[in-house]
Order: sequence, then structure tokens, then C-alpha cells
Amino acid sequence: MTATADRRPVPRVGPLAGIRVADFCWMGVGSVATRMLGDFGAEVIKIENRRRIDRPRLLPIYKGEARNYGEELADADPDRGGLHNNYSRNKLGITVDMKTARGRELVDQLISASSVVTENFAPGVMERWGLTYARLEELAPGVIYGRMSGFGHSGPHAHYKSYGPIVQAVSGLSFISGLPGQRPSGWGLSYMDNQAAYYNSAALMMAILRRNKTGLGAEVDVSAVEVGVGMIGPDLLDVTVNKNHMRRPDYPRGNRLESPTAAPHGVYPAAGEDSWLAIAVFDDRDWGRFVTAIGSPGWTNEPRFSTAEGRHQHQDALDAHVSSWTRQQARRDAMELLQNAGIAAAAVQNAEDLNEKDPQLAARGTFFELDHPVIGKARFEGTPITFSRTTQHTWRSAPLLGEDNHYVFGTILGLPEDEITELENEGVI
Amino acid sequence: MWTGPTGELTYSGLRVVELADELRGEIVGKLLADEGADVVKVEPSGGSIGRHIGPHAEGFEHDPNASLYFWTYNTGKRSVVIEVDETSGRQRFDELVAAADVLITSDGPGRLGERGIDLDAYLVRHPALIVLSVSPYGLTGPWADRRTSELVGLAAGGPLLSCGYDDHTIPPILPGGNQASQIAASFGHTGLLLALLERQSSGLGQMIDVSMHEAIAVSGELANPYWFYPRVHLHRQTCRHAQPSPTQPALFECADGVDVYFALILSDTKTWQTLVEWLDTLGLALDLADEAYLSLAHRQQNFAHIQDIMESFFLMQESADVYRGAQDRGLPLGPILAPEQLLDDPHLQAREFFVPVELPTQGEALFPSSPYRFSYGNGRPGRPPKLGEDNGFDFNDSSAESQVAAHDAAHASTGVGLV
Repeated sequence: MTATADRRPVPRVGPLAGIRVADFCWMGVGSVATRMLGDFGAEVIKIENRRRIDRPRLLPIYKGEARNYGEELADADPDRGGLHNNYSRNKLGITVDMKTARGRELVDQLISASSVVTENFAPGVMERWGLTYARLEELAPGVIYGRMSGFGHSGPHAHYKSYGPIVQAVSGLSFISGLPGQRPSGWGLSYMDNQAAYYNSAALMMAILRRNKTGLGAEVDVSAVEVGVGMIGPDLLDVTVNKNHMRRPDYPRGNRLESPTAAPHGVYPAAGEDSWLAIAVFDDRDWGRFVTAIGSPGWTNEPRFSTAEGRHQHQDALDAHVSSWTRQQARRDAMELLQNAGIAAAAVQNAEDLNEKDPQLAARGTFFELDHPVIGKARFEGTPITFSRTTQHTWRSAPLLGEDNHYVFGTILGLPEDEITELENEGVI
Repeated sequence: MWTGPTGELTYSGLRVVELADELRGEIVGKLLADEGADVVKVEPSGGSIGRHIGPHAEGFEHDPNASLYFWTYNTGKRSVVIEVDETSGRQRFDELVAAADVLITSDGPGRLGERGIDLDAYLVRHPALIVLSVSPYGLTGPWADRRTSELVGLAAGGPLLSCGYDDHTIPPILPGGNQASQIAASFGHTGLLLALLERQSSGLGQMIDVSMHEAIAVSGELANPYWFYPRVHLHRQTCRHAQPSPTQPALFECADGVDVYFALILSDTKTWQTLVEWLDTLGLALDLADEAYLSLAHRQQNFAHIQDIMESFFLMQESADVYRGAQDRGLPLGPILAPEQLLDDPHLQAREFFVPVELPTQGEALFPSSPYRFSYGNGRPGRPPKLGEDNGFDFNDSSAESQVAAHDAAHASTGVGLV
């Protein structure tokens, strides 16, 4: 498939316009990290390998076909994967075989024409290609070299393999999530893929911000595990300051809150299968509003529920009563009722709720649509920030495999057309 | 106007006023302060909300200067008590904002309006000012003044439905550590960076309106793509990815009672052979070493049998040995570490990730340090402030430079560890 006119690269606008990124990132963390740069004006050139296709291109998230995350088709079309489309919009895509000397030369040339280089391979891969920070600095003085890995580029576990759930396990985030006396429930998603990506976007922009003032480049090392440990919260200081241990029978707390002593505070069953309502009542004022909103049933008059302390102490009984009310309610109706009464409450929304029913996300324009030559029209997760001056520059859905080879090697690096064709025929690109 | 770092650290010289009682704003202030910004936290006379949230340092149970919750999210800031809702306080607050590069708030539009805080008016008065609002739902829209919380935020935004247990009579379970706010703060930080970059070229500030609800709604990883494309829902499973249909358990208990996370992936033959060799070190390869198992179909047919053997294999060993044994063979596996175990982790120790921070009460304790490492210099958390300890502070004071120096010296007084 060749690029149609409306898919040709356009001049970019935004706070990162003028910055070209030689982007070796793949999988989740790297792709999401450089997505923000591409969204806000950087020319992000995703460098791919035809012999080792980026996994989000192959993961079977397809229109009209429901398969589990790990159940890839043997002959999956790399241009059909929805996750890749979501991750790599607004990026250019080229292919290079790094096993060939010519391929590595081309990459050196591209780096020389770039001012940021990003990668999230296992430590050592870039070094094997000779692409150390010192070498990049020779190729592109003032370069910013963003290195995103699970464990960071130094230390005895630098070579350890990880992905979201592993990072969540070894950073403590899984342990602190669950019901007391049971195995951890942890996370049902690669939370740390997203968070590590957001921190990597930030770290790259911090280095760019500094370079704009000083002219100096930088090597940036972000360990997803360290980002995760930084997000554990006060429990970590409970260990280092109070010498308490979290591996104990009454920890973690599930959906309950110890401080402030909020109750009811939980996720309650609503009418319908696997349908839930989250309610957080923090103080006496909230409690009064809550009781009125649900029609002041008799049990709300029990003396043991009259104080915050009493409600917190008798949560098992309180939760049973609250559930007897919530079970009769449609989750979205109950959310409206409670929020209108000034209570912090929400339906536990699924993706259909978010996309088709949530009036706030609709009003804010959180999701947007783009066309794609293979996939067709698809929705995308937007940037959850509204600026008064800066605008997101969305110009294209994700690149087809090698879609921008001619533009990048021809227009940017100045190779003649016949040479590009030869490189294609030889399998170098 | 700040145009870039004035010292070693990225945010050195950046002046920030934080009128944020809620974590979603406070965390951004911490990220800035830890990398060198001068962050002034404006608090009411009773102290901001977080000072009254536990746990507290033992022996200081009701001390507003001893909340571990507050310490976690307020390292390296100054504390100034100002009653912003009163006339004289407002004047003092306005003076601070006039001299600042960035103003951070965390309330929704209704609450800001009740307090008479007109963010647009500050922008009109100070065209170079960047106002960062990290609010529950955003400053506009039908839900703008709804209430939220850590639990309600992750529920409304979607990720909560993916988290919990295989048993769906158990409700979805809130992941720990105030992650709704962490997600919002991450976009607060990147949004601010985009605005600072923009200001470097235009000289103009702007309003950054971050909606925690939107931030969470785009951070569910697979749930939205599975709706965008095949239009199916995901179903939560115990400590592993929610999926369209059930998959095998991924937690295995070890001899020391610690679980490890290991997703048994059978599709790759080389990985399979590595696994069988590893099992063989304890004599547990058994029939799995048979040639029949080189066929993927055979492995899939006997999945339950393989899973049984793996369970026994892990139960015979300590989690630390399992961790090393798997990773040294290139198999991604990780123990479910409790926070107290992190302090003994040899990798985090070698990277000097935990650093001593002087406490506002007495002594010092280890805190997690910078989540990113720059070849030009890394920040580190400074002492969290006592309530009102910087009351006289003024960015424009002729002695401001020396105040900054004194403050930095105080915050770096336990200068061991990272450079």
C-alpha cells in the first residue's frame, strides 16, 4: 500500500515543532511515550524492523473479531492491529534491517539529521549497534538520548526482562492492592506501561526545555520500576519511618479507607450482571445527604451508624445495608441520584459507558476519530489536557509498515529514488 | 520570566505557587520541587487537608507536621500560611502569584468560584503566567462540579472494572496508592512542560486544564482499544490482565509464602525448552521433556498438567531464587514484593534509589528519589515543610536569592547518596 495524498507528511505545528525524533521505541511504554511528542509537533520517525514486527501491530485487536490479547494469528497483517494504530498516530514509519551494514549507515544518517533519539530495548541492544550516547553526540551534537527500560541502565538487574505486570509486581504496586487475607488483586492492566510512558514523555521534554536554554544535550535513563516505587504512596514511609511491615493479616484494605475514616466507602453491586457502583461518604455532612438521597430507610437510624467512627467500626453491617439499596438501582441512575445530592459516587464504567454514554467525555472531546487505509475509521484516545494556546496537531493515523520510507530516505536524507528502490529490493529497508 | 534552568537541575529557578489541597495538584508540585523548582505551598492556618490524613509518624499522631501522607507528596516545598478567602490574605496571595511562573490549583470551577479565585483574571493580569489546573473532571462540561475521590475517580474513568478477582461476586478492587491522582498529576506535569516549551518561544503563558476523569479514561490500556475495534468488554482476573475470555492464573506461591507473577506462554518453542531445562534443575522436567511437547498443540492440550508441575516447582523454592533463576534464563518473572522488601532489593540499592531525607519532626528516613536520571544532574526529595515555616517568603524580596540558597541548603542537609 502506498501513501495516498492525504497521508503525506505535513509541516508540523506545536511547541515541539522543529524537533525530529529518531524513534527506536516499540511495545507499550516507548510507543506511548513518543506519542505525546508526535501529538504536539515533533517529527517522530518510528524505526521498525520487518523481521521483528512491533508486537502491538500483531496483537489481535481487530474490528469484527474478538480474540484474547495473547492469541495472535500466525500470519497477522502488521497493518491491521488496532493497538498500534492507537499508539502511533501522528508518527512517521520507516523500516531498516539493522543486521545490514547499509541499514546501520542509514540510521546513522537519520540520527545526524535528528535532535532526539529514543529507545526502549533491553539494555545492550543499542550498544551492539554502536549507538552509545558518546557516538550519538558525535553524530548529532546536543542530542537528547531517551532510554526507557524496566530496570534502568545500571545495577545488577539491568538486564532483567519486564512488562507491565512484572514492573507492578517488583515495584510493590501489586502487593498493596487487594483484600486482606487474600492474594493480591493487583492490576488488571499494564498500568505501569502508561505511567512509565508518561514519565518518559516528561523526562524527554525536561531535557528539551533545558537544551533550549543551554544548548546542551543529555542522556536520560528512566526505570519503569523506579517510577512505580515512587507511586506506592504513604505506605512506603510507614515502612521507612515507622518500621511497619505491610505483609500482615489486615493489609491491604481492599476498597476501604482508614484515613480519613470514610464509610460507607466501597464498590457495591448494582442491578444487572457485573454491574457496580462506587460510593465514598467522607463525613457527617456526606452521610446526611446520602441518607436523604436513598430515601432514609430505617437502618440509617441505627445509633451505631450515627457517627463517622461508628460507621467505620461497623462497616460490614453498613455495607450489607448499602448493598441492599444499590442492588435495586441501575448503576448510572444511582450515580446521577447520588452526585446530584452532592455525594462522591460513580458507576464503575466500562469502555462502552466511556465511549457511548459519558456526557463529560463527550463534551470535552476526549476521543477522536481518524481514517486508516487498512483498518478504516477508528477511534483514538486523545490527550486529556485542554490548553488555551497550545493545540494538538493531529494529521494522520498510524503509519503502515514502511509507509514513509520514500519520504524519510528521499526528502529528508536526500537519497535518489532509484537507490531507495534498490534498498527496498535488497531488503535493507 | 524563567526561560530555562538557572542551575544544574531542570527546574532550578522556576517559581511556582501551589494552591492545591488535593493530591492531583500537589504531586505536580512535588515533581517540580524535587527537580529544583521553588514551590510555595499556600495553606490555610489549620494546614492543608493532607496534614490531617494518616498514617502519621509514630508518637506524633495528630501533629500536622508529622503526616506521612503529607510528607510523601510535599517534599522540597515551602509552606506559607495565607487565608486566601480573606481580603488581606488575597492581596498577599496575589503578590506571590504576580512574581511566579506557574500557579497550580486542584479544585473544580464551582469551588474556585466560591472562593473568588478567577484563573482567567490572573492570566489577563500576567500574560506570561502559566496556570495549571488539575481538577476532578476539567473546568468545563456537565460534570465539572461533581465530586470525586481516588475510588470514585478510577470507577468513573474505567480502570477499576479491570481490577479485582476471578470471582465476580467480589466487587472490583481499588489498586492501592492513590493512583487516580497519580494519573492526573502525570498529565499535569506533561501539560505544564508543553506550556513551558511554548513559552520559551512565545513568551506567553496560558491555561492548562487537566481533567482527572479524562486522564483516567485514556489510561486503561486495552479496554478502550477492545471497544474501538472488536467492540467487546474485558473481564477482570486475579492480578493479571482483564481479557475478553478467561486465561490461566499467573500467580504462583513459593516456599517462603511470597507469590511470583509468571505468565505461562506456550507459543514459543525456544521459551518452552528453556522452561523445561529450568524444571529439570530440580528434577521436575518429568514427561514435559518428551518430544511430544515440542508440538504447540500438545502443550495446549496439556496446559493443566504443565500448570500443576509449575506450581510444585515454585513451591519448592524461595521467591528470590525463582526470580533470579527465571530472569537469568531470560524468562520474565517477578515476585510480588511488599514495600518493606524493596529496601533490601539489591538492584535498587546499587542504584541508590532510596535516599535519606531530613524529617520535619526529628531524624531522617529513606524516601524514593528521582524517577528519572539525567546525565546533567538529578534532583532529590527535600525535607517536607512544617506548616507556615516560610511565612515571610517573597519571591521578589531583595534577599530572595539568599533565601533560596538557605532553603536549598536546609533541604540538602543530608547530602548523601545521589548526585
